[in-house]
Amino acid sequence: MNSMTEGFLKAFSLIYNLDQELLGIILLSLKVSGAALIISSIIGVPAGAVIGLKKFPGRGFIITLLNTFMGLPPVVVGLFVYLLLSRSGPLGFMGLLYTPSAMVAAQIILALPIVASLCHSAIVAVDPIIGQASITLGATPYQKAVAIIKEARYGILSSVIAGFGRVMAEVGAILIVGGNIAGYTRVMTTTIALETDKGNFELALALGVILLIISLIINIALHLIQRKGMAGTIR
Amino acid sequence: MNLQLRASNITKSYHGDRVLKNTSYSFNKSGVYVLTGPNGSGKSTFLRICALLEEPDSGEISFLSDGKLLMNDIAMRRRITLLLPKIGVFNTSVFKNVAYGLKIRGHKSDGIKEKVDKALDFVGLSHKKYQKAITLSSGETQRLGIARALVIDPEILFLDEPTASIDQKNTKIIEDIIIRIKREERVVVVTTHDMAQAERLADFMVIMKEGKINEP
Amino acid sequence: MKKTVLIIILFLVAAILSEVNASSDKEIICASTTSTENSGLFGHILPIFEKKTGIKVKVVARGTGAAIEMGKRGDADVAFVHAKELELKAVEEGFFVNRHEVMYNDFVIIGPTNDPAKIKGIKSTIEAFKKIAGSASFVSRGDNSGTNNMELSIWKKTGIVPKGQEWYLEVGQGMEKTQRIANEKRAYTLTDRGTWLATKDKDNLDMVIVLEGDPTLFNQYAVMAVNPEKHTHVKYKEAMEFVNWLISKEGQQAIGSFKDKNGNQLFIPNAK
Repeated sequence: MNSMTEGFLKAFSLIYNLDQELLGIILLSLKVSGAALIISSIIGVPAGAVIGLKKFPGRGFIITLLNTFMGLPPVVVGLFVYLLLSRSGPLGFMGLLYTPSAMVAAQIILALPIVASLCHSAIVAVDPIIGQASITLGATPYQKAVAIIKEARYGILSSVIAGFGRVMAEVGAILIVGGNIAGYTRVMTTTIALETDKGNFELALALGVILLIISLIINIALHLIQRKGMAGTIR
Repeated sequence: MNLQLRASNITKSYHGDRVLKNTSYSFNKSGVYVLTGPNGSGKSTFLRICALLEEPDSGEISFLSDGKLLMNDIAMRRRITLLLPKIGVFNTSVFKNVAYGLKIRGHKSDGIKEKVDKALDFVGLSHKKYQKAITLSSGETQRLGIARALVIDPEILFLDEPTASIDQKNTKIIEDIIIRIKREERVVVVTTHDMAQAERLADFMVIMKEGKINEP
Repeated sequence: MKKTVLIIILFLVAAILSEVNASSDKEIICASTTSTENSGLFGHILPIFEKKTGIKVKVVARGTGAAIEMGKRGDADVAFVHAKELELKAVEEGFFVNRHEVMYNDFVIIGPTNDPAKIKGIKSTIEAFKKIAGSASFVSRGDNSGTNNMELSIWKKTGIVPKGQEWYLEVGQGMEKTQRIANEKRAYTLTDRGTWLATKDKDNLDMVIVLEGDPTLFNQYAVMAVNPEKHTHVKYKEAMEFVNWLISKEGQQAIGSFKDKNGNQLFIPNAK
């Protein structure tokens, strides 16, 4: 209990006297997760849309595969990316291991199935009448698809929020592929893990609180956009 | 000479149920055709096939202009429209819903604004222009559907049960609008199971029964 | 319009990636162990080295086994570890060159203050382990770390196979957590003096050192460079600058002057 209170007090004093090193860690977290999320969205949203809109052989299998990958343990992803990027691995020549790029790659593997799968669900959930209405108004098949995707936009945003939650909170994968190098690949979650290991519970908890606050701010912002769009029901 | 539609020997089955049985009919004069008949007689299916929303199992839908047969391509499809009973409201503003048909046709935004304003004024929804479309009442939603269809100035306009889900007061409003959208060189086809309404609206009465049209 | 937005976003991502990945040539990756990093030693000595040579040392901390594996796979330029047998084997296999002993710390056996297995007074680690076996619980790191390897080599000498025994708990955690678990379970464990000194008060451990000073318990740290003939991309020249500095008078002094929060010296430099 005592260390809990101290943790929260320390969190606020840390935020108040934001030092250079901590700021660097926070910024790196945001940059790595942000880049991973943007790339995941650029690939995952169109992929989810295609799976949701088109019927093709193997579609059911792909959906099952995506759902399975959604629950993949980050450590397994980390190990996979590590073996891939290791100097003795197939992509070792790129020299990416223990760089932020490797962390972004691991996080993409974690976020992509979530974004694609939830995006697919959002699109499937759109009332088929929307597509029919667009056709009656003269839409081409492509324009019909765009209309359905636009209709699913708040659900798609949810898929991106979920992806963000996954990468921001993740530690297992980036610890393995990033190496938690001070000042270079050390992010909030790996710092928390390290400080916990060292027994600096107050500092670890304080960082946890900061992570929570950042997530809260981003989620509130996205939620506001979403609620604006969700008002009322489809008639 | 207006756009004419010829449906010949249309059949359609759903899950082994034959809904349309070798049905033929031509819509070739300006004015309001009312397609009526008991529930399950195949009115909606026939309308959806005529509006090219669905393919028939056999038979053919042909469009003619000045006696010439047209290709059923996207350019052709854009000369007609169908208002579904549940209109399929896009989750945007009233204005953007109406603008949709013009936007996908590549109209410039100035032109779109003028035409949308005119269409909204026509159905009496100007004051709700910036409202979210999904917050409209059911009567207003039906009017929105008509504005969205009218703005693209269709030569053939199909209305599938436009008053099925609304109260009497709004039914009256919609009926007035239908009478006002008649013009030279425009075919309006309305389905209804309400015989009294059919008599109020019809220039031409078409009666369907068990998947067939009884030729007059 | 939409294309412009997309291009801007992609550009942003590219900018982020190129910025976060920005690195100079004068830097090396050092594979080390969690206990070494957690001691805070690197935070003390690396700035001194970087100031002198301009070489940035990026430390990736793993268990000893994984740290040596990193070097074998070519994912590090230099390894700074403490598992003599594994090190010598890796050198023999040709994965590493220029191994030098740098410093040591020592291990101690800790146990509950009331010492239920009556270990106090015993001088030989092997005897102590034999006595603990069966009469009290023993918590093992179980993570292939240097400490874990030391512990296993002692068990080997006792002839007891502890794995799977009811009194033997493998936790797969770092040193400090292992100590805390031992404290909760009223068990004995093998720990390094540095971690013990740094954490016993902070973690309110109701435990004491029951055996210390046996030469078996000395923990030798060594540094070695990844063999450039095995992995041509490694920065051998910079790695050797680091190795040579660690065993130089200046490097040895830096190690000796490192103290933990409570003012205890954790490592004793002993390069030859």
